[in-house]
Amino acid sequence: MAEPRTVQPGDRTLAYVTLAPSAAILILLAGVPTVTVFFTAMQDVGMGETSGPYVGLENFAWALQSQVFYKALWNTFVWVFGSVCAEMVLGLGLALLLNKTFMFRGVARAIILAPYLVPTVVAVLVWRYMFHDIVGVLNHMLMVVGVIDKPLLWLNSGTWAMVSVIIVGVWKFFPFVVLALLGILQSIPQEQYEAARIDGASAFQQFWRITLPYVLPVFILTALLRTIWTFHKFEIIYLMTGGGPLDATTTLPILVYFKGFVDFELGRAAAVAILTFLILVVLLVAYFLLMKRAEARQ
Amino acid sequence: MARVEIRRISKVFAEHTAVSDVDLVVQDGEFLVLLGPSGCGKSTLLRMIAGLELPTSGDIVIGERIATRLQPKDRNVAMVFQNYALYPHLTIYENIAFPLRVRGVKQKAVDEKVRWAANLVGIERLLARKPRQTSGGERQRTALARSLVRDPDVFLLDEPLSNLDAKLRHSSREELRQFQDRVGVTSIYVTHDQVEAMGLGDRIVVMQGGSVRQVGTPEEIYLHPADTFVATFIGSPPMNLVTTGDTILGFRPENFLPETNFAPGADIMRVPFRVQRVEYLGGDRLLYGTVSGALPETSVIARIPSSVACAAAQGTEAAFAIARSELRSFSASTGRAITHHDRPSVRSSAHG
Repeated sequence: MAEPRTVQPGDRTLAYVTLAPSAAILILLAGVPTVTVFFTAMQDVGMGETSGPYVGLENFAWALQSQVFYKALWNTFVWVFGSVCAEMVLGLGLALLLNKTFMFRGVARAIILAPYLVPTVVAVLVWRYMFHDIVGVLNHMLMVVGVIDKPLLWLNSGTWAMVSVIIVGVWKFFPFVVLALLGILQSIPQEQYEAARIDGASAFQQFWRITLPYVLPVFILTALLRTIWTFHKFEIIYLMTGGGPLDATTTLPILVYFKGFVDFELGRAAAVAILTFLILVVLLVAYFLLMKRAEARQ
Repeated sequence: MARVEIRRISKVFAEHTAVSDVDLVVQDGEFLVLLGPSGCGKSTLLRMIAGLELPTSGDIVIGERIATRLQPKDRNVAMVFQNYALYPHLTIYENIAFPLRVRGVKQKAVDEKVRWAANLVGIERLLARKPRQTSGGERQRTALARSLVRDPDVFLLDEPLSNLDAKLRHSSREELRQFQDRVGVTSIYVTHDQVEAMGLGDRIVVMQGGSVRQVGTPEEIYLHPADTFVATFIGSPPMNLVTTGDTILGFRPENFLPETNFAPGADIMRVPFRVQRVEYLGGDRLLYGTVSGALPETSVIARIPSSVACAAAQGTEAAFAIARSELRSFSASTGRAITHHDRPSVRSSAHG
């Protein structure tokens, strides 16, 4: 008999050995900081310190009793819900349009994806200019058209500040939704529509009975993914309003930042971060469960 | 049920002519097969009848109506696609029910019709399944049942058997034909497979390069091909063609036999045949070689049933012959068949 191969089928030693370096890097960069946050959350850490006396769950108790936390939680909900809803509706509509054949379709597709490629800092600065009460182009245009008769305080009134950040967020990230939905739309076999046309289905029936069932799993997954990403989005809000005016746009990530690096209460910041993390875990589990179900269906 | 008339139909896609000036009448209840190599325009023609493509010129008449500009749904035609085009998210039941659902038919009538159609193609036990849980043959039957529930005037079938394996294709062909005989609906069937075409069609339309080359029964097309294209496209191996001056002589491989097989005094043309290679295929042997003598040297194929004795071995020259009644002749310049009454010229030249 010939000499047996060094690596036999089913022998995973080689797999583990080759995976080890990447696993180590992941643990170092993601695992260690996450665990550290748990410890920090149970300490009273002051300015200039990285650790402090053990205080048990006191920081969590503070968070769950403070107005600031609930206000941030509510703001986060408004920010996430408003952004994701608008992104999904806009994204589906544009994906359906871009899936049709028309002149310059390639150009239109490229232009729609542009916001996704603009660096956030640049985009936000331009948008802040446009939102400016006095010199902003937005107020000017709305007054010319006659929608408003005096300048709107976009970034200086509580409600409009939230609307403003949502507008910028939607503008920046709806291309992702378009991309994801366009992908699935293009995978629908043309014969399905041809068969439906011969069978007597109207345009609306074709959308309702063919397009929608095809798109739905991806639509839900994309919405969930966008929810997770929007939930912990920091820089758009921070650069636009800094969480203001009067905490009107302070979401949980912004609150963590203020607690940790403005108030220098790292322990409390960590506690808020962990509460945020727990909400995200629920969303992530939902995402992976749905993903698994979608894959099983294929 | 309806008669379908195609009047001088052409379809030009950006500089490419897919269908060119086709005239055709499909009789009520007839099973017509459109046959040709890929790219010959047969599918485009079918799609124009379905209403999925608008002809560049010409008209389509279905029944008593000019249907050229009617929407597909208003033509009352049903189509079975090559990949069946079933809706993956619907059960087999709902797939079959689809044409009725979009028309707002009441549930009771839907149920009755779906079960009737499923019964007709024998898939009642699969109704609760999704298409991905069924086999290729079952999907094909589902597509057939779906096309059936609406009582269409015309069935359009676009290579419905080509995604099945060889054995299943054979039995499905048989079933399809029996099924059509039973429902008696005018059917137009597109295929590139000549065996399917011969086995299924009442008449066959042979197409090439967007034009109709010949329309006829399977026998007519096989025995009297209208031109050299049809002669070589139909039959496997194809008809042997030997160019002699301004005519091309054609004869089928199975008619090219050792001289000893013919009765003495039969009207035959004797041809010496140098055998280069013998292929044993079970029921037949294929002899590849070269003819000479009265004919210019040309490579031809002879097909001899294994039951017929034939001493011709590889590398030897044997006395072969063809019955004159089986000889066909075509014009060397146009490739068109030369009809019987102007054949004597061939006869005299071959005697020499």
